[in-house]
Amino acid sequence: MRSIRLDNVTKSYDGDIVIENLSLTIPSGKFFALLGPSGSGKTSLLRLIAGFETADSGSIFLGNEDITHMPIHKRNINTVFQNYALFPHMDVFDNVAYGLTIRRIPKDIIEQKVIKILKAVHLEKQIYKSIHQLSGGQQQRVALARAIITEPDVLLLDEPLAALDLKLREKMLIELIELQDNLKTTFVYVTHDQFEALTVADYMAIMNHDGVIEQIGTPKEIYEFPTSSFVAQFVGSTNIFTGVIKSGAFEVQDLGLMQAAIPDKPWAVEGAQALMSVRPEKIEISKSKIEGFSNEFQAKVEAIVYHGRSTQYNVRLSNDMLLQVFEQNEEHFPHEVIDYDDMVYLYWQKENVVMLEK
Amino acid sequence: MKQWQSYKKISQLRSFFWAVPAVVWQIVLLYIPLIFVLMRSFVHKGGAHLFDQFSFRYYMELLDATHAIILFRSFMLAAVTASVCLLIAYPIAYFLSFYVSRFKNILLFFLIIPFWTSLLVQLYAWFFILDKHGVLNVVLQKLGILSEPYHLLNTPFAVYLVSIYCYIPFMIMPIYSILEKFDIRLREASLDLGATRWETFMRVTVPLSLPGIKTGFYLVFIPAFGEFVIPMLLGGGKQLYVGSLITHYFLVSRSPELGAAFTWLSSIVLIISTIVMQWLFVRAITPRKIRHNL
Repeated sequence: MRSIRLDNVTKSYDGDIVIENLSLTIPSGKFFALLGPSGSGKTSLLRLIAGFETADSGSIFLGNEDITHMPIHKRNINTVFQNYALFPHMDVFDNVAYGLTIRRIPKDIIEQKVIKILKAVHLEKQIYKSIHQLSGGQQQRVALARAIITEPDVLLLDEPLAALDLKLREKMLIELIELQDNLKTTFVYVTHDQFEALTVADYMAIMNHDGVIEQIGTPKEIYEFPTSSFVAQFVGSTNIFTGVIKSGAFEVQDLGLMQAAIPDKPWAVEGAQALMSVRPEKIEISKSKIEGFSNEFQAKVEAIVYHGRSTQYNVRLSNDMLLQVFEQNEEHFPHEVIDYDDMVYLYWQKENVVMLEK
Repeated sequence: MKQWQSYKKISQLRSFFWAVPAVVWQIVLLYIPLIFVLMRSFVHKGGAHLFDQFSFRYYMELLDATHAIILFRSFMLAAVTASVCLLIAYPIAYFLSFYVSRFKNILLFFLIIPFWTSLLVQLYAWFFILDKHGVLNVVLQKLGILSEPYHLLNTPFAVYLVSIYCYIPFMIMPIYSILEKFDIRLREASLDLGATRWETFMRVTVPLSLPGIKTGFYLVFIPAFGEFVIPMLLGGGKQLYVGSLITHYFLVSRSPELGAAFTWLSSIVLIISTIVMQWLFVRAITPRKIRHNL
């Protein structure tokens, strides 16, 4: 396990800049997720680290070693490919053993290691099956086993679960977390799925459409304290208000003053234009008056979407802005039924909003 | 389930229907004549007997060193041609499918052009190259490799060279069509796991292109075994090959019984070699047999 450090890395394809002057440190021995929309250049970043592509400028370090121009096969970094890229002419055993066979490890040791690792990924019964006989989930495990058997310093996972169904994906996520915990290998997990990233990551980085990393932090930091409106909107859902900072509060046009915790940032001065993000689950919705909240607004229910564990209300404020509100479905028979076109009160605490620079 | 099965049956019937013309074509123009040839090789006419009689005498007549050498010579021509074609064609197909993108169609077009030209024209073109005063001799002399003109025409060398030339496209095409579809990520995966480019080539690229190699090998080996135009024109008919001898028996010496027998004898050699090759390829492709030490 070693860390990865990218230093001012730039990469372009046919003059099209995908990554520009990117610097990033991926801590050693951690589960690191790189989250970004499709086409944000996160796969390019992964390919640069793996060595499939060479940076136009800048350097990449594995620990303290400069690997910018090191050939792929010499880097102790392995990849789990999106489509698995298993060798179709080999059975499970030979696929998993590939890295060891190449290193000319004695046959009996290879066999021990393969059996051990296949047991770890619950595939010991499939050891001599051909790749075509395996299900998607099993192929995924073979790809994983093949990549970790050589004990790489870093394991790169490129949207590894994209092809699996939801239930299996959730199961694999837990297994991945356990695997990383046992191996202590640095995992770099690339995905566009925020649920996956939030689930697996110790640390995560959010990349925007231009290949710029907007924020790095723990999943909780990213979700609760986004530092830009892109992060706030890309990770989870949120309601964004536009307004002006006014005497320690936030004024939204046609809506009035909102109580908000104004951060101690150089941009957050009196009269500055700003954005305010309120997560839908931070908002309380009720038809009756409740005391003790710093913010209270009236709205009309426009749509109700039942999600099972929660219900989503789309409500319209007096300034015509549409808000999303999530309510936990805590009871079979709620004491208050909210229906279409009902007038409701919305409440939230000022500590639960995030002020963002515009 | 039942519905599915009946649907399957109908679709099988339907595909068989489309295959009928091809099957009829094969039966009428290939298998029936072959059976005639087979009958001919066993039937002895004339002599003191009034009626035709069943006999192995034509086969016995052929079982001698001269014919064995001819069979061996054709086998060697086919094997060497196919092997050399493979060695030359593989890099070309590899280059075409992995390194050429813009001019791919033009290069493929150049590859196909010879098919539009009569074989005879192609062969006569070689006369100008291989002749005592031809291009090759001139070049080799200019380069100082040869001190005096060397007679290249009517030698086994010319036969081999021109056979390889003629059959190369048949080797390139099937290999190219396999490599064209090759998933580059498999090579990346191999490099990623620590294999060098050469190891990746030997362990991933070549094994996965074996079906193409196999097809190409058959497409070259089988017709090259029966080749008679090239030995006749460029070998000057000095050495007999299977094809030329069959032509000789049927058309020159007017002994169709011997020709028929020799046709079948050479077919047997060809079939056996094909089976052996098939076995070798299958062994190379199939993954290791299941071991039992878990």
